[in-house]
Amino acid sequence: MQIVYNLIVLYLVGHLIWYLFREKKFWNKVCAVLVLIMFLLRLFLIK
Amino acid sequence: MVAIFALLAMILKLPIGVSLAFSALAGSLLGGEGIGLRHLIEGSFGYFDTILIIVTAMIFMKVLQASGILDTITSLLLRTFYKKKSALLLTAMFLVMFPGMITGSSTTAVLSTGALVAPVLIKMGLSKVKTAALIAMGGILGMIAPPVNILVMIMGAGVDMPYVGLTIPLLIIVVPLAIVISLWLGYRDIKIIEYEKMKAVLPPSYHKQYGFRLYLPLIVVLVLMLGQSVLPKIMPDIGIPAIFLVGSLIGLGCGRPFNFFKATQKAIKESTPILCILVGVGMFIQIMTLTGARGWIVISFLSLPSIFLYLGIATSMPLFGAVSAFGSASILGVPFILALVEKNAILTSSALSAVAGLGDLMPPTALAGIFAAQVVGEPNYFKVIRHCLMPALFELVMGVGVLILTPLLDKLI
Amino acid sequence: MKKIRSKLISSVLLLLTLVICFLSGFKFLSMQKKEDVFPTEGLTSKKMLSSYFQTLKNTWGDTEVYIYEGQEKGGNLLIQGGAHPNEPAGFITAVLLIENIQATKGKIVIIPRANNSGFTHSDPQEGNPQRYSIETSAGRRSFRYGSRLTNPIHQWPDPTLYINPAGQKLSGTESRNLNRCYPGRKNGRLTEKVAYGIMELFKKEKIDLAIDLHESAPEYPVINAIVFHENSEELAALALMELQLQGFEFSLEFSPKNLRGLSHREWGDNTQAMAILLESANASHGRLKGKTSPALILEGKDKNYVKAAKLGRLFVPYDEEGVPLKLRVARHLAAVKSILSSFEELHPEKKTEIKNMPSSNEVRMKGIGPFLHPPN
Ligand SMILES: [Zn+2]
Repeated sequence: MQIVYNLIVLYLVGHLIWYLFREKKFWNKVCAVLVLIMFLLRLFLIK
Repeated sequence: MVAIFALLAMILKLPIGVSLAFSALAGSLLGGEGIGLRHLIEGSFGYFDTILIIVTAMIFMKVLQASGILDTITSLLLRTFYKKKSALLLTAMFLVMFPGMITGSSTTAVLSTGALVAPVLIKMGLSKVKTAALIAMGGILGMIAPPVNILVMIMGAGVDMPYVGLTIPLLIIVVPLAIVISLWLGYRDIKIIEYEKMKAVLPPSYHKQYGFRLYLPLIVVLVLMLGQSVLPKIMPDIGIPAIFLVGSLIGLGCGRPFNFFKATQKAIKESTPILCILVGVGMFIQIMTLTGARGWIVISFLSLPSIFLYLGIATSMPLFGAVSAFGSASILGVPFILALVEKNAILTSSALSAVAGLGDLMPPTALAGIFAAQVVGEPNYFKVIRHCLMPALFELVMGVGVLILTPLLDKLI
Repeated sequence: MKKIRSKLISSVLLLLTLVICFLSGFKFLSMQKKEDVFPTEGLTSKKMLSSYFQTLKNTWGDTEVYIYEGQEKGGNLLIQGGAHPNEPAGFITAVLLIENIQATKGKIVIIPRANNSGFTHSDPQEGNPQRYSIETSAGRRSFRYGSRLTNPIHQWPDPTLYINPAGQKLSGTESRNLNRCYPGRKNGRLTEKVAYGIMELFKKEKIDLAIDLHESAPEYPVINAIVFHENSEELAALALMELQLQGFEFSLEFSPKNLRGLSHREWGDNTQAMAILLESANASHGRLKGKTSPALILEGKDKNYVKAAKLGRLFVPYDEEGVPLKLRVARHLAAVKSILSSFEELHPEKKTEIKNMPSSNEVRMKGIGPFLHPPN
């Protein structure tokens, strides 16, 4: 199950980065960054 | 910290989540903890599981929309209920509550079946914001209703109370509320319409084209959710996020073809500001705990004289729900149960869960309110919350009432 | 042009994200390094829990088991600390024993970090420090302040609803609470496997008496307590009398029969051992705590708790002096000693004799440091 969830997080990380580059408003980008930090840390099993 | 938050959010108009994050950072600096990067990030992880549920639920909702499943079900419900006002309202309420009942999460309810009933109610004449209010309240009641009430479980874990014998007390609280609230919000506004009129607003149904498999994603999601709470020994518990994604993937082949990546991207775009709020709140709470502000708030409410204790419960638990209803149950619910030790803990925790559940209407997180607004396409969620005030008051009165009448109910049950 | 600028900003933000991840990640990962423990020469063998249950090998659930065996046969005692790594008195008491004792009769098995994974992270939104340090005769030693639960990166995701091995329904996060997972599952989640491994240890080491060391928040009713399984009722009562003579107040708590998955319940039900759990008062994991810091862990001074005590909201006395770690450890040591001597009284043939056990009075007066091995 853990692998499945890692894949889910990986998929979402991809989409968040995609969103970060597509979004035009600066503060929305910052929002994406705040969420992305968490997803990356979990993706690499750090936190 | 609160002042800095207000400055950033109201005057500089930064997104709420970013404002919260910056004010948490400022709080950490002022509290002499330095930048406290570890604390800030750690705090946000308090919502990691919630965030996964939200994103996957949003993807599921987008899939339901894109594949035409949503339209089909709206059309089905409309054909069935266009002449029956009370039945429609009560069915809608139950449908919204159902996923909440079996997962204990109001967000799940609002974003899954909430999205199903919203168009029906709107087409029957209920305003957008009132529809959203009904869905939000349905989500909250579903979260409190048995069989799964995570709020009670959290409080139970804090006082060593097993999760047993809660069905009846919780039903006593939830059933009257569900009936009263759905009728209160909808009875006056919902119009019984003529068949011809109904035909005119009927969205396209894809039932003929795709047949039964159109309903498969929804059925799979509900069966998997039900399975993990009713038959936990047989059904694999893959967790709510995975359930939503399974449902979404099945949706790919069950209706109108659509681009899954675009659906996900839409879900991300719409949910990121809300996820960001959760991240910000998480950071904020971590710093509040670190500097002792959280403890100060809890002890302040606990030091209210006992006649004001119920008043304290009625105000502080929903207010603290700004953190999340779960946080409120853990941080305040447990001390309050202990303050009421002489009473039956099962009844007390059931009643407190009804009060704490209202926290999901409390800005800035206001998960139930925010997502209900999003489901109906209302940009300002405060309008939705305004319409939730009376229903919330009903729930509050019910919760506190049960709390006060505990000795009496204890004998009855 | 505008588009390029936007992409540039995104790239800078992505870089910033990576920097933040790296900096905070470094801190988070630092918790994975174990603190040293220096056993005495009296140590007979040091095993891993995986030697009792193979499956745990190379997982974060595997943990050290220190065994002290006397020349003479006698009773077999298990002392478990660190089931909840945010309850430092349990862990430190186990470390003090490992670093001081010698067995002359019987066998003493000590698990200082029962939930090893729980030591590798801190609870979100609790604002806890990662470490606290104690001054020894020659230098400081620092210890991790972990989480009540297994690290989610080692056991993920949580179920929505957790039905523990004993059949109790709990909220999903409790699937990572070792003290709700007994008697464990052979093919279960990591925490359940750890619980299963500990049950295997009970069998293979033929444990007669088991003591689980905990702490609880001062607002929690079961505190400063000896929680006993019905098989140890007499033992607990005898130990209590002895403790009262020494001036330690404890309350006796019967292990509830309907509260399943806890050590005192399942150890007692599923093994031949007498099962006891000890609680002391730790302000740093309470809901009312004020400013959170290593000092709060060590000194236990907290204005909020003083106020709560005056309001009658607590189940332990709490004044401006606080409840320091040295006192909490001293209480655990005193209780272990009294339980042992009461056990001997009830079962003279299963006597365990321990030499050089730190005296509770001295720990209370001089602190923990003098009894710790200096750092290398
Ligand atoms: Zn504990």
